[in-house]
Amino acid sequence: MTELDCEQVLQLVWQFLDGEMDDTRYLEIQAHIAACAECGPRYQFQRRLLALVELKCREGPVPTELKRRLFRLLEE
Amino acid sequence: MGATVLASQTAPVTADDRERFQALAEEHLDSLFRAALRLTRNRTRAEDLLQETFLRAWRSFHTFKPGTNARAWLYKILMNAYIDGYRKATREPEIVDHEDVDEFYLYTKVQESDDFRRAGDPEEVLLARLMDADVKGALDSLPDAFREVVILADIEGFSYKEIADLLRIPIGTVMSRLHRGRRQLQVKLWEYAKRAHYVNADKPPAGSGGR
Repeated sequence: MTELDCEQVLQLVWQFLDGEMDDTRYLEIQAHIAACAECGPRYQFQRRLLALVELKCREGPVPTELKRRLFRLLEE
Repeated sequence: MGATVLASQTAPVTADDRERFQALAEEHLDSLFRAALRLTRNRTRAEDLLQETFLRAWRSFHTFKPGTNARAWLYKILMNAYIDGYRKATREPEIVDHEDVDEFYLYTKVQESDDFRRAGDPEEVLLARLMDADVKGALDSLPDAFREVVILADIEGFSYKEIADLLRIPIGTVMSRLHRGRRQLQVKLWEYAKRAHYVNADKPPAGSGGR
């Protein structure tokens, strides 16, 4: 496999973050962003952005009343 | 409504079935509700969708094979119920896509903003200032096709393959919608950041002579 340049690495950042690539490529990108001043901060930002989306969209548990209503349907 | 649905079940229901189903539902109900809230963007509709999902799952519980992926099975039912009854019936008009926007839109905007650059860690300042309502609002504003994929990937944590199965679309389509959705999300988040006066991004710095 030929070595990836910055542009190629940046194109693969989402897939890297999603864990959607084979191990060889994953390790190659991991090493690149650890060492690269261009790609490193961009990767870190995207990672934090995704974590933020997940965090901010958290919800509490299903309301007790709703849950009770659902489970009551099973008794009918 | 529940009674008629249950009466149509083919196999007789045993107390054991009910218990197993309750345990399964108990485990996944909170995350199904979260997904329903994001998909419908409305609490009442989310409750209805959750109930519909719950009943459909119970009705077809005899087809569930113990030991297989219960979460994927339940989300498949959720997405089918959503597609059948909640997704807009009309095809969305031509989706406005920001093809000119790059994958690192938000990062670039922060880097270009004098206001943020004055802060020690501009990226941190931006992310810390975005509130729950901003992120949810930005997500809610995306076209359905993008929104669904972003919800399943970024909130519910499904893989590309799993999303492809849930939405019955090719993996390539999942990837392109996810990337485009994340791009639009960033554009929206930047708008929110500006609108809320967190940033005076478009204003020239004081004393620079104005426009």
